Formats: sequence, C-alpha cells, structure tokens
Amino acid sequence: MPSKELGAELRRSVDRLPQVVGSVRPNTSRPRRLALSLTAALVGLLVFAPGAFADFWKPESGGSPNADKISDLYVYVFIVGVIVFIGVEGALLWCIVKYRKRKNAVADQIHGNTNLEIGWTVGAALILVVLATITFVMLPGIRNPPNSSAAGLNLNSVQYAVGPGSGKQPPNGRSLNIAVNGQQYVWRFTYPDGDTNALNNVFAYEQMVVPTNTTVTLNIRAQDVAHSWWIPKLGGKFDAVPGYTNHTWFKISKPGIYTGQCAELCGRNHANMIAAVRAVTPAQYRLWYVLQRKQIQASSAAVAKLRPGIGTPKSQADPTLAPVPGNGSPHAAAPAAAAPAVAAIDAKALFVNGKGQATACGSCHVLAAAGTKGVVGPNLNKFIAKDDTVAAIKDMIVHPNAEIAKGYAAGIMPAAYATTLTSAEIDALAAYIFKNTR
Amino acid sequence: MATEQIIAPSTPVAAPQIVAHKVQPERTGWTSWVTTTDHKKIGIMYMVTTFVFFLLGGVEALLMRLQLSQADNTLLAPSTYNALFTMHGTTMIFLFVVPMMAGLANYFVPLMIGARDMAFPKLNALSFWLLLAGGLVFYGSVFFNPPECGWTCYAPLSEATYSPTGGVDAWIFLIHLTGLSSLVGAVNFYATIVNMRAPGMGWGRIPLFVWTILVYAVLLILALPVIAAAVTLLLTDRHFGTHFYDATAGGSPLLWQHLFWFFGHPEVYIMVLPGFGMISEIIPVFARKPIFGYKAIAAATVVIAFLGLLVWAHHMFSTPSPFIVLVFFMLGSFLIAVPTGVKMFNWIATMWRGSIEFKTPMMFACGFLAIFLVGGITGIFLAVFPVDWQLTDTYFVVAHLHYVLMGGAVFAIFAGIYYWFPKITGRMLSEGLGKASFWTMFVGFNVTFLIQHSLGLDGMPRRVYEYPDVGNLQIYNQISTFGSFILATGILLTVYNVIRSLRSGAVAGPDPWKANTLEWFTASPPPVNNFDVVPRVRSVEPMKDIRAQIDRAAQDAAEREPALA
Repeated sequence: MPSKELGAELRRSVDRLPQVVGSVRPNTSRPRRLALSLTAALVGLLVFAPGAFADFWKPESGGSPNADKISDLYVYVFIVGVIVFIGVEGALLWCIVKYRKRKNAVADQIHGNTNLEIGWTVGAALILVVLATITFVMLPGIRNPPNSSAAGLNLNSVQYAVGPGSGKQPPNGRSLNIAVNGQQYVWRFTYPDGDTNALNNVFAYEQMVVPTNTTVTLNIRAQDVAHSWWIPKLGGKFDAVPGYTNHTWFKISKPGIYTGQCAELCGRNHANMIAAVRAVTPAQYRLWYVLQRKQIQASSAAVAKLRPGIGTPKSQADPTLAPVPGNGSPHAAAPAAAAPAVAAIDAKALFVNGKGQATACGSCHVLAAAGTKGVVGPNLNKFIAKDDTVAAIKDMIVHPNAEIAKGYAAGIMPAAYATTLTSAEIDALAAYIFKNTR
Repeated sequence: MATEQIIAPSTPVAAPQIVAHKVQPERTGWTSWVTTTDHKKIGIMYMVTTFVFFLLGGVEALLMRLQLSQADNTLLAPSTYNALFTMHGTTMIFLFVVPMMAGLANYFVPLMIGARDMAFPKLNALSFWLLLAGGLVFYGSVFFNPPECGWTCYAPLSEATYSPTGGVDAWIFLIHLTGLSSLVGAVNFYATIVNMRAPGMGWGRIPLFVWTILVYAVLLILALPVIAAAVTLLLTDRHFGTHFYDATAGGSPLLWQHLFWFFGHPEVYIMVLPGFGMISEIIPVFARKPIFGYKAIAAATVVIAFLGLLVWAHHMFSTPSPFIVLVFFMLGSFLIAVPTGVKMFNWIATMWRGSIEFKTPMMFACGFLAIFLVGGITGIFLAVFPVDWQLTDTYFVVAHLHYVLMGGAVFAIFAGIYYWFPKITGRMLSEGLGKASFWTMFVGFNVTFLIQHSLGLDGMPRRVYEYPDVGNLQIYNQISTFGSFILATGILLTVYNVIRSLRSGAVAGPDPWKANTLEWFTASPPPVNNFDVVPRVRSVEPMKDIRAQIDRAAQDAAEREPALA
C-alpha cells in the first residue's frame, strides 16, 4: 500500500524533526529545544495515534468506498502539505534565528538570483503536477459507483429501477436510485417503485433506510432554498439546489446508522436539519419497505376518512387508496365512475388539492389564478402558449412526456392522470387551465 | 538636478516654483475633517473608521464563540446567531479589510511615489463618505432586522420569500455604497500611480506596496461591477417581480453563486495583495537587505491577480456542475499556488543573510509569513475537489479562510500600523506593548483557528448556532473560544498602545526605521503639501541612495576640513 509507505516515511521524518531542527540551530537553548521536541512528539502522537484521534487530522471515512478514497487522497495531500510546511517554516525559523541582528554583522546586499528563482518556481509547479496526477488516478474510485455485491439486494427487483434524471450508474446499470429532497428543515427520501409516478412511492423523512452491499445512487434536489447533502462517512457534500439535480452514490458494507446534516446555510434552523442513513441487511430492508408502504397507505386512508369531516371539497377521497375496501366513509367508497358532471366539478379545488392518488397540479406548478407556487414543474402561466387549445392542454395532462419544457426532465410528472382522474375531471381541469392562462 | 536638493528637503535651495502670496493657517477642529480633501486626513478617517468596524466585527465573533463554547447552548437565539455571522463576515470584508487597505493606500501611495496628493482629491473624499454611508446603512439594520443570510447571501435564501425583512436590503445597499466607494477609490489610485510618480520612478522603481495597490485597483474595477449587477438583480427579484434567481420561474440560484464568486474570489486577492505589498516593504527594511527578486514579486502580483479572476468556481465544487468545470477550476486553483509560493520564497530569501532587527513591525511580518503559509497549504487541500467535497462548508474552511485573511491581511495590517504609525503621528509606538500584543495575538490566533480544522474534519458544518455533544466537538470548540479571547486581548493591547502613544510616545523624527521609500523623506507627520522638493528617484530604494549620498557628502567634508586646516 503506497499510503502506508508514505505514512511510514512521514513518521520517520517527523521522528527526525527535533534532530534536523537542532542541527541547523546550534545555539538553541535547552528549554527551547525541549519545547520543540515536545511539540514534535505531541504532533506525532496526535497525528498518528490510531482510532481515537482519526477525525482530528483527516476526514471521516469507513462507511463507503468513496469516502475511504477521499480520505486516502486527503492523506496524500496532507503528506505533501506537511513536507512543504516543515520545509518553509523551517527555512523561515532558520533565517529568523541565524540572521538576527548581531554586533558588527553586515547584511549581504543581494538583489536576487535568477537561477534560484526559476528553480523554486519550477519546484512549486512540480509539486502541483504530482498532486494533480495523484488526484486523477484516485478520481474514478471516488466518482464511479461500483456494482452491488452478491450479498446486496436482488438485482432483478423493481427496486432497481433507475429514476428520471439519474447520474452516474454502476457498470451493470443497476443501483437503488433514491430521490433526496431538501426542504426547510428536513430531508425527504423517495424510493423507486418501477412506475413513473413519483407520488405513490414509499418515502421517509430524516432517516434513509438502505440495504447493505448494495450500490445506492442519489438524485439530490431541493424545493425551497439551497441545502447540502452530507453524511461524512459516506462521502462528500452535494448541494441540493432548486431547479437542479445533483448526484452521488454510496455502498455500505457494515450495517449501522451513519449520521450527517445539511451543510449549506438554509435558514434559522439549519443547525438542526439532520440526516441519517440506516444500513440494514437486504432481508431487513425488504421487510422495512413493505411495512413502510403499509404505514403510508394506512395513514393516507385515515386522512382520506377525515377529509370530508374537516371541510375539504367532496369527491376528494380516492377509493383506490383505501387498504380495506368498504370500510371507509361513504365519500371514500364512492366509485370514480360515479363522478358528477363537468359542471359540478370544482376544477380550481382539483387543481389546488388534487384527488386521492391524483396529485394536485398546484403542488408542482405555478398558476396565478389558483394561487399555487409549486416549483417542480414549469410555471403554467409561462409554459402554456397562447395558441395551446383546451385539447392540447388535455393532452399535456394525459401524456406529460410528449413535450418537455426546456430545463425540465422527462418522467417527473405523473403519467397516470388518465386513470387517477375521470375524463370529466380532466376536461374540467383543461378548461380551467386554458381559461386562466390567456 | 543639483545634489543639494536631494540631500536637504527642509532647506530647499532651488527657487520655489510657486510663490505663495498668502498663507492660510491650517484649520483644525471637526470641520477640517469633514471638509478635507487632503489624502492624509482622508486616510486617517478611513483607518479610524474601519478599525472601529474591525472592533465591532470582533465583538460579533466573540459572541459567536461564546455561544459555541457549550454544546446545545441557548445563550443566543438562532436568528441572532445567523445575524451575527452575517454581520461579522460582511463587516470584516467590506468595512474593514478592503477599506483599511484603501486607507493605508490613501495615506501612503502619494507619499511613496512622491506626489502631493491623489489625482482626484474630491473624489477621494467622496469614496470615504460613501464607505461611511454604507457602514451606517448596514449597521442601521441592527435596530430593525439584521440580515441572516451569511456574507454570501445565497439566493434563494436571500429572496423575499425566505428573507422577508429589510435586512437583506440593508446588505444590498451596503454592497452598492461600499462598492461605489471602492470603485471611485480604485480609479483614483490607478490615475495617481500612473500619472503622478516622482521624476525617475519608472515601472521598475515603484515600491512593491504601490504595485500591489495598482493591482488591487485593477481587480476592484474588474470585479465590483459584477457584484453590483448581482445585488441589483437580487433587489429587483425581491421588490420588483423579476425572477433572476427564482428556479420556479426559470431563474437560476446558481447564477447568483457564479456572479457572487466571480467577484468574491478576486475579492480575496483584493484583500491580501496590499498585505503582501506591506510585507514586501517591511521585511527589507528590518533585514537591512534589498528585497530579493523585486521583478519576480511584482510579476507574481500581476499573475496572482490574473489567475485570481479565473478560479471563482472552486467555491462551488459541491454544486451540480459538470465534471470538466470541476477539473478546470481545480487546476486553475493549483496554478495560483505557484506565484504565491514564489512570493513566500522571495520574502524568506530577503531575510536570508540579512541582519534582522526584530522591531514590532518585523515580528508581525514574520507572524504573517508563518500564518499565511498554513492558509496557503490548506488552500491546496480545498482545491482538490474530491477532498473539498468533504471539507467545504465545514469549520475546516472557516479555519482556512481565517489563516488566509488574518494572516494575509490582519497581521499585515498590524505590521503596517506599527511600521507607519510614527510617520502618521510623529510618535513611536511602545515596543514592549507592541511585542506583547504580537505574541498574544499570534498565540491567540493559532489556539483559536488551528483546532477549527479538526472541528471541520470531525463533521461540524459552518454557520450552525448549536451542535450536539458528540465526539470531541465540545472540547475543540472550547479550545477555540479560549483562544479567541486571547486573540482579543492581543488586539486590545495594540489599541491601548496606539491611544497611549498618541500622547506620550517617543518623538519619531522623519525616518526612525532607516527605511527605503520616499514617505520617510518628509517630516513626521508630513506637511499638507507632503514635500517641498521631490527628489529624483534612481532605484527601488531612494531613501537608501539619499542616505548614502549624505554619508558621502559628510565624508567629503571631513576630507576637506584637514586641508583647510
């Protein structure tokens, strides 16, 4: 291992340090020499004491190969840095001690030395060439996700669906692709489920549960201000910036909880926007996933039951969400086919609140008339052109990927409105959007 | 030109070019300050004003350190803490380091190049008053709602949706007013240096401090319009319905980051280059040696400035940016290390085989070298973008930037204060107090900031008002807080030294250090017109030539005397 050799070399040079410094400073007093060797010993102890003080001098690692390789790269830079530090500070100290004013000492009137100056310019450049080379050699291991191990989650599962706007993938193209969404002041994690509707997926807040030995790729976004995704042991920071998707990956071999927090100032509670990744075995992960999905469905059903009671418009509850058919309220049990005529549909409410599995248009789109401010999709006041007809708008709702607004990715908008809404509701929505984008 | 002219400025022999018909007594009192266009008075107002802001920024820093001295501390509310780090960063950069350099340059550039004032004295007064106005507008927000978005004020956090109070607007006006002040000042410095140099002072004989101020001026002219535009767009976003930084309407938050750092990185060199200049003046004087490699240092200044304009996105390595962009900005940042290293080596080589007198300015200069080197080395860590992914936005960066700016700017400014105080006031600062101040500051600084590298490596992000009691976070923070109070004590020792010496310091005389440049040719403090006679400049070290000439004249006189007898 080159890192070990370099480390040993560094250790030897640190051991030599007191003698080196002592030899160029023949007039050093005893206490000063003692202080110097004590400092050197202390620095050596802190730097090379294994374990307890690892975070003292290098970044955290040990969760994922990319974090380990960043840590290795840091160590190489650190070694070069220490050599430069000792060399330059040593030269400075030496000049300060050797050439302090003495009786009858006369300063040499030297104006420069071209060879010497060219020498240290080239020397400094060479050090940087070495550093750049090391960086480029190490980069692939840091940037490129590897394949999942055999002990990881089953490669053929639907869980491996790579979501829209994904970044670098492992050589076999399969990873558990989780969408990370930063919001003031919490992280939301959305798990893939194989379809393009991102709104019926299993999700979690704050703690991301992942299977071990499995390559996990992240699509990092933000929905309000900029945040930064950072779990130190799983690699570096990746900013979550509204309007952009950022990417990173990790692959955990040891089960456990890896903690971190938002690293970009995002408001008053930035300090408490924590994040954690809990790595469990693939079997435990599958169990967690099923339980999480059930819990989400159950709470959605409970909310659907409560909705009519708290004054939301009628016909909002979606029977397809109810886990046990027939036990909901009369509203929840009402079949979609029995939807009222167009005239009776409150298109604005539908736009703002959605209906059951049909997510509200307004949660992703701006529409001034509805007062919505969603940022995920294009602003409808701007995107809908004057020559778009009601039929064209209807087509956009039903086939969202047919035409993609500039700057937005395909596959973000649910493609299932044709099934989650009745055709009457879609007609009403299209008419409403048409009317309010003139 | 006759040699007598050069030797004895106080007794000009040549016929005066202007005959005064009426001499007005010099005005004193506050009106003389408010109405002045004298570059020295303006310089003093700059320095006093910015030092007051420095102390305010220091108090803000100490409050933050107090809050962080305990895990989960409840001393300060999150809003207060966020306001404090915003005020601290903004104050230190826009109201202390940059204008302090302008103040020192105001006072000394005309003196060092043998000019009688700046090229545009009234504009010069305008830049000071704009600066003061910017500072007052910004600090006025303390009584309402101070900004909480950090000195970088990243959009969309600084947009009206997320920062609805007027604090961000106060910050925007500060940027506009101090920016205008700096721009006007920069044009003035440029015009002065290019047009008003003493006879014989070609480009190869300009003092290195003046070289750095020239480059400082050019950088300000290039960088400031960009931030002015950026904050104007933010202002229209906030109040007039535009969406430049609003992703929901097709704007881009990254646009803000690019515009901000296109200004922000040159700003770093705007802050440290004049410091480099002061160090390049002070080390030769106290090592009693010419500067090693004058041309290389001047050239390195220009190269640093040029490269400094091309590396801004190394502040944005963790943003969603294309790979090739990361590589370009990593290599560009590497390149900057070369001219910076050249300067470092040249300074040390200037001390080599010298006869170094450790007066306080020289101690601060050596402290600068020792500290700035650490900032330079940690800068390389941050330039390697995969490593930066771990280090950025943590206390490692806080430590790095303080090593660069405290080392590169503040220690240099203190060296400058100790070096030039005798010229400005005619009195010496106490050496004992000065050395005590240096050692307290040096130790305090390193105790405060060295450990912050470890804080960052241990996972503590910057700009957090509290942290949990895990790992070594609390003990590291306590060490840092302890150090910050030592550092503050050291700074107060200098404040005391200055106040005490104004009244009772030893009288300095025109040239207490036997220095090299023309400001030491005139009386201390200099008269309003600076010089009665401007000597011809024949090297980078005109005062050394003049002293040698006086020695020769004395020798000749001594040789002639026996002959007369």
